[in-house]
Amino acid sequence: MLQGMHITPIGNRKILLEPGDSLDPDSPDDYVVELMNTLHTESTDTLIYDLKKVPLIDEVYYAWLVRLNKLCGLSNINMVIVNIRTTAAFSLATSMKEPPPFKCSLDVESARQGIFVDFHKAKKDGADKAASSRHRDARLPE
Amino acid sequence: MANKKEEKTTNQLLVELFMTQVGTISSNIEEQGKSIFVTENLLSKEEINDYSLEFLELLVSLLHANDVIDRFGPQYKALGQFFREFSHQIQVRGGNIEEFLLYTQFLQNAFLDGLKSDAELTFDQTRAVMQLIASIFNDITMDVFELYLKEKENTISAQQQEIRETSTPITEIWDGVLTLPIIGTLDSSRTVSVMEKLLERIEKERARVVVMDITGVVAIDSQVSHHLVQMMHAIGLMGALAILTGIRPEIARALTSLNIDLGGVVTRSTLAEGLKEAFSYLGIRTEHS
Repeated sequence: MLQGMHITPIGNRKILLEPGDSLDPDSPDDYVVELMNTLHTESTDTLIYDLKKVPLIDEVYYAWLVRLNKLCGLSNINMVIVNIRTTAAFSLATSMKEPPPFKCSLDVESARQGIFVDFHKAKKDGADKAASSRHRDARLPE
Repeated sequence: MANKKEEKTTNQLLVELFMTQVGTISSNIEEQGKSIFVTENLLSKEEINDYSLEFLELLVSLLHANDVIDRFGPQYKALGQFFREFSHQIQVRGGNIEEFLLYTQFLQNAFLDGLKSDAELTFDQTRAVMQLIASIFNDITMDVFELYLKEKENTISAQQQEIRETSTPITEIWDGVLTLPIIGTLDSSRTVSVMEKLLERIEKERARVVVMDITGVVAIDSQVSHHLVQMMHAIGLMGALAILTGIRPEIARALTSLNIDLGGVVTRSTLAEGLKEAFSYLGIRTEHS
């Protein structure tokens, strides 16, 4: 068990991370190396971060999530947060300047099934659709 | 006799005045009460009699309690409570504040009329009794008016709450699909309440898609659009797909001129299109028979 968190391989190259009360998001360096080692050892393709026991996500905690997501991205691992509390979602949404970089899912089961919201994919899809629509429109006169 | 009266306190003078003319005062009060409340069908004759009797009893016990009126004493509080309950009863039955104030005016006049017919009181005593009557009834009027305003405020806030709830009905239109038509203006307080309710419903229904329809939003400014984006983000954070529908041309124009980035938001022209997108996201096929 890693310090401050509980890691469970849940099959199909997916890892469930449940942060404990002793996790200090202000010192990410204490955790990331060991965590990334574990993820590599398990050949992880998706890290499911369970926020069920996190009552509030402040700037420090958000920065920790963003950093972890970046690290996962470097290792080609999807990071999906699940079970965010309504109060945490509410406060985070009102303080965020732009959509979160990580993916969000309703619960662990949905994340396991690959059902999640990807804010940046939606953005890219929108841009792609707009581009293809422009190309189609451009071809219309012919 | 006049000397004896000079030694008495104002309270005692008023009690004496009342005792000597109790029949006239109480019958006047009852008659006026009937003329105001019975004709308007707000109180029955029996209720008027009961209220008049209770009022006179409470007033006498107040005057008897001390040499001067104690505004923090139990008798004074009991009189105030009596009038609050009385006026509440009138309001509940559809009466208005004017009728009640008219009645308290009549009560006051009943005592002043009694004072007029007492030839034994000196000028100073008459003035003191008048001041005492005026101060008691002023307090009663203030109390009742304050209660009336509070009742009105409660009614207005309950109506506002009802309008808010009916103008943002969150409906589970399909398993895991919530719809939220927004009508009117989105201000900060409304956004907060809508967001709270919506997030709770997502959690409760385990919703996977939320279709937000803004066809009923007539105007949009930077604050409203900011609130909209916050809502979409909150829905996404819960793990549900947010689809925004019904962006009217003028709203779209306002959004672009305000430089609002809806890039990360799935948008569709109509609620029907939004629902199609929701079904497609959930892998549900819909076809005409």
